[in-house]
Amino acid sequence: MKKKFGNKDVWIAYGLILPALLVFAIFMFYPFFYTVYLSFFDWNMIKPVKEFIGLANYKALFADPLMPLVIKNTVEYILILLVLNCVAPYVLAFVLSFVIKRGRGFYKGAFFLPSVISLVVGSILYLWVLNPVSGPAAILAEFLGINIPIWSKTQGLVIVVLSIITTWKIFGYNFIVIFGGVSGVPQEIIEAAKIDNVPLYKIFFDIVLPMSSATGVYIFIMTIVQGLQYVFTPVKVVTQGGPDNASSNIIYNIYQEGFVFYHTGYASAMSIVAMVLFIVLLVIEFRYVEKGIYYEN
Amino acid sequence: MKEIVFENVCKKYGKNLIIDNLNFTIKSGERLILLGASGCGKSTTLRMIAGLEDITSGNLYMNGKRVNDISSGKRNISMVFQNYALYPHMTVADNIIYGLKVQNIAKAEISSRLKAAVEMLELGGLENRKPKDLSGGQRQRVALARAVVKRSELLLLDEPLSNLDAQLRVHARKELVKIHQTYKQTFIYVTHDQVEAMTIGDRVAILDKGRLQVIDTPSNVYNKPANIFTAKFIGSPGMNIFAAAYADHFLKIGKQSVKLPEFWSAYIGKRNCREFYLGIRPEHIFLQNEKRKNSFVGVVKYVEEYGSHCGIYFDLEGHEVVASGTNTALKPGTNIYFTLDSARMHVFDKESKKNIGYPEVCYDNVYQYQSV
Amino acid sequence: MRIESNLKWHILLILALFISLMPIVFAVSTSFKELSEAYSNVLGIIPDKPTLSNYLRIFQELPLNKITFNTLVVAATVTIFKVITSVMAAYAFVYFDFKGKNLLYFILISTIFIPFTMTMIPNYLIISQIGLRNNIMGVILPQLSDATGIFLIRQAMRSIPMPLIEAARLEAAGNFQIMANIVLPLVKPAVISTGIMFFINSWNEYVWPVLILKDTTNYTLPLALQLFVSSEGGTDFCLAMAVSVVTMIIPLGLYLIFQKYIINTFTSSGVKG
Repeated sequence: MKKKFGNKDVWIAYGLILPALLVFAIFMFYPFFYTVYLSFFDWNMIKPVKEFIGLANYKALFADPLMPLVIKNTVEYILILLVLNCVAPYVLAFVLSFVIKRGRGFYKGAFFLPSVISLVVGSILYLWVLNPVSGPAAILAEFLGINIPIWSKTQGLVIVVLSIITTWKIFGYNFIVIFGGVSGVPQEIIEAAKIDNVPLYKIFFDIVLPMSSATGVYIFIMTIVQGLQYVFTPVKVVTQGGPDNASSNIIYNIYQEGFVFYHTGYASAMSIVAMVLFIVLLVIEFRYVEKGIYYEN
Repeated sequence: MKEIVFENVCKKYGKNLIIDNLNFTIKSGERLILLGASGCGKSTTLRMIAGLEDITSGNLYMNGKRVNDISSGKRNISMVFQNYALYPHMTVADNIIYGLKVQNIAKAEISSRLKAAVEMLELGGLENRKPKDLSGGQRQRVALARAVVKRSELLLLDEPLSNLDAQLRVHARKELVKIHQTYKQTFIYVTHDQVEAMTIGDRVAILDKGRLQVIDTPSNVYNKPANIFTAKFIGSPGMNIFAAAYADHFLKIGKQSVKLPEFWSAYIGKRNCREFYLGIRPEHIFLQNEKRKNSFVGVVKYVEEYGSHCGIYFDLEGHEVVASGTNTALKPGTNIYFTLDSARMHVFDKESKKNIGYPEVCYDNVYQYQSV
Repeated sequence: MRIESNLKWHILLILALFISLMPIVFAVSTSFKELSEAYSNVLGIIPDKPTLSNYLRIFQELPLNKITFNTLVVAATVTIFKVITSVMAAYAFVYFDFKGKNLLYFILISTIFIPFTMTMIPNYLIISQIGLRNNIMGVILPQLSDATGIFLIRQAMRSIPMPLIEAARLEAAGNFQIMANIVLPLVKPAVISTGIMFFINSWNEYVWPVLILKDTTNYTLPLALQLFVSSEGGTDFCLAMAVSVVTMIIPLGLYLIFQKYIINTFTSSGVKG
């Protein structure tokens, strides 16, 4: 407890925080609770009177025949995203920190590059690149004798494509932050393991992963949060939820219910379900990850 | 000039008592050393004077004024930090005069003070460099220059030489004394190095576990240590301390006993000390080749070579004792005979561990070597 | 042996990079192709008959100058405010002790994890109520502060050795002087890179503006871009790619200029509390 500034200066501290706090209070905390409030009402944003209907929105939500599909899509999307944006960048960061010796700066800079580009641009780029008939990927695939399926009309594939697009955006940021955590593992520890002839995969699992787990957990959470937010853009730009809601997920559904059908209360209830889903995912994954670490040790 | 008074000063971090009831006065214009091992509270004490740490309880006075609640900037002090705390983005010159600029001192005055400081600390030609382009010794001198230009009455130094190599340190010590002689500020200097403490300090305050053990001149701290902690802490190796007893003119250590000179017998007898701790510095043990009357006998354990002399470690009735000597050929396991310089003996009370004092003949000008 | 195994990794990395960067190359290339060539010479990086017609057309068909200007205003305003509020708050969190500091910091930072959907409806209502719908001010207003910025700049400030601040305080420097003369110059790289990221993110922002902005003249670039995509399959990719290039040129330029700062800030941000 070092002495910092005198107590009489405390008001300066509050004053310095106030502008940020004000913005957060008005556009973050208040809306958060107002969404909870709205979820108990039937309202269309325009009617002067909100009708209190208790848990009816939630009941309707769980009775909605579309809901299971929407949730399944969301979970699938997140799982693919986690593999592509947590596991892959982790391995990449490990390789870059401890395996290869040249070109670190170049790779870091280049891998980060797509994350500064608009997701709308990304969506359009992939719409073109992955175009099953005339896109570069299709033409390259043709050389190899493979046909790219018409993914925009194929149930499972749509989600894969959406995941690829958001991955393109998120990967670089995740990679850089994970690289920071991984390269924070002292080089001597890795060298000591190499002298003992510990294989690379064991160095990764036994040393690097546990020692950088704080960063790993952070990225894990951020991938879910960002992924859910980002997916809205490609869905809106590329598929509009189609085909037959095959690409619709809970985030896009909230948008549609809220801003297309004006089911404000219903959309609010769905937002809360989405957040709960997000928290549940976190808890399950934490259990799993924790067990994994225990097992490894 | 600034006089500083600590009155029942305590400092707690949570439940940990870091500084335990400090009471002492730093005289105006003196060079006071705060000496102790790491974690003893010496830096905390310095930082309380600087106003960088809150005082949990008690009062701190500067020139009679209570300053507990005065912010650092208003205490008019200069400080040299352990890692110098040079602003990495400023040039040497800007580092030195930053504080003067903040205080809106006139430009002409600033440049004349800068010139004087640069000259005194031999920083000419480095004014436009950044700290990262300086050697360790140069950085240290910049930090000193920054502290000097302020012309404050109080200069605090927190282990300012600990990052220098041994040769630079000797030079820097002289420089510090020169600065003090030029500006005559009150100097408060934290160190864990006793050589620095002895060479720089007018007085040395030794702290242990947040308590003040002693505050005295370097000579007294070394020659008349106030308690066992001080005796052991100062000197390298420290003073030998072992349990001893007095009975009927005889000094008893374990099973061995020798007759004490009359001045000690009278002194100890008068104070009715039967059992006590006896202290003797390595250089005040006289080794002999053969057994004499009045000599103790020990068994050699090992010999440490120092170059100019050596330290002979031996066992005396179960106590490890070290003596200064020149004979490196002593074999472990052989007997060694020695006497103690009775005028350089120290007696510490068994309970309080405090020095009981010395008979008048000790430290007398006409004192002559007298073997026990 | 060592070189051989490294080569294997390098090939893998280059392949991954190729996959992630090729779309950008295709976009630039296609934007300079005529529509017929775009479909006949898909893989050709350099167009056979390079043309600027796509660019000329998009500026004719859309008020693209106005749209670019809107985007710039939004991104610049948001960036300036986010940087200022973040620096102020971070300074308070690092250099002051006050009641409830840790709790307040925790609450502010935890907002990073609140899904956007939890706030979008009420924010839409607020912006509508104060009459800023279909107005770039309505896009700007909820984005004047940013928890990530507070986090990153606080991390940077915490890495300044405390004795530097103490030395300045001994010189009787006040808060303003310490902030301006010591802290800001030392956290400049973090402030710059955080600011650049704010700017880029705001420039690219789509979800919130799409809710607020209705008229094409009030659009920002990402919204304009979407006008060229038709889900029915009739997308004119040459035009879409031209708008894409216009949209990404500023973020890419900024990134290339400030790349070192940005990479370092995010690499060292870490998660150490």
